[in-house]
Amino acid sequence: MTERVAGADRRVERQGRRRGVMGWVDVRGRRLGGWAFILNRLTGLGVLFYLYLHLIVLSQLAVGPSAWDSLLRNWFLNPVFLLLDVVLLAGLVIHGLNGVRLALVGFGIVIDRQKALLLAFGVLGAILIVIGALRFISDAGAK
Amino acid sequence: MALQTEDPGMSRQAPVERWAPEERDTLPGVGWGWQALTGIAVLFLVTLHMIANHFVVTGGLRDYQQVIDYITNPIILPLETLFLIVVSWHGLLGLRAVIFDFGLSTRAERAVTRVLLVVWVATMVYGVALLAILVTRR
Repeated sequence: MTERVAGADRRVERQGRRRGVMGWVDVRGRRLGGWAFILNRLTGLGVLFYLYLHLIVLSQLAVGPSAWDSLLRNWFLNPVFLLLDVVLLAGLVIHGLNGVRLALVGFGIVIDRQKALLLAFGVLGAILIVIGALRFISDAGAK
Repeated sequence: MALQTEDPGMSRQAPVERWAPEERDTLPGVGWGWQALTGIAVLFLVTLHMIANHFVVTGGLRDYQQVIDYITNPIILPLETLFLIVVSWHGLLGLRAVIFDFGLSTRAERAVTRVLLVVWVATMVYGVALLAILVTRR
């Protein structure tokens, strides 16, 4: 019985996969969880891009103190860059909370009230992003 | 999987069609469970990373000397190294899932997995080398 249910789940999953990447932008019949899935993919790709950008930029630390400190003063503590940091934080918060939500639902810890969970995480995420934004922007030109 | 192939009742159904989607996840460290597990680890480590580098520093971000002081801390160094290992695995595993959404052949999927594994190893070599350089600067 369990085998049969698992088989049915896999078939549904494969049908979903057949829609491929175009399935992401297909708005027909999309529920709240579907939007969360797209958001998770987009923020994930964005944060992965940042990760490698970040690793490349960190090589300037190996160049020496003056290379890093001038980057910091001229670029990273510039208000425009700090705003981009807020965008990064938003991506991390959205991806992280959505990931926790997916794990809670996927492992069967939360089965009922998924909509309430999504709403609660949405509110929590918004609060975290606002707190981060206020802190980051206040750092402008601090060094 | 082995249990199901040995079941005579099941063998009447088209086995290749059934097993194909699972075959890609036979590699260790790959699959949804691993994405969740590494995700939980990343959640803790990225929170530490962001607080330590963006929230508690006087002047917002760490200057050179502050970075060296931070990274040579005996508690921070293993945690940041673990963060590098786990976050790149989680990220590349996610990218793999996105690429697989394009509906590739099994052969192409295997090639993608191999390439991403090489990218991960290269990331480790680069990251650990950079950490080693910075630790000796103390």
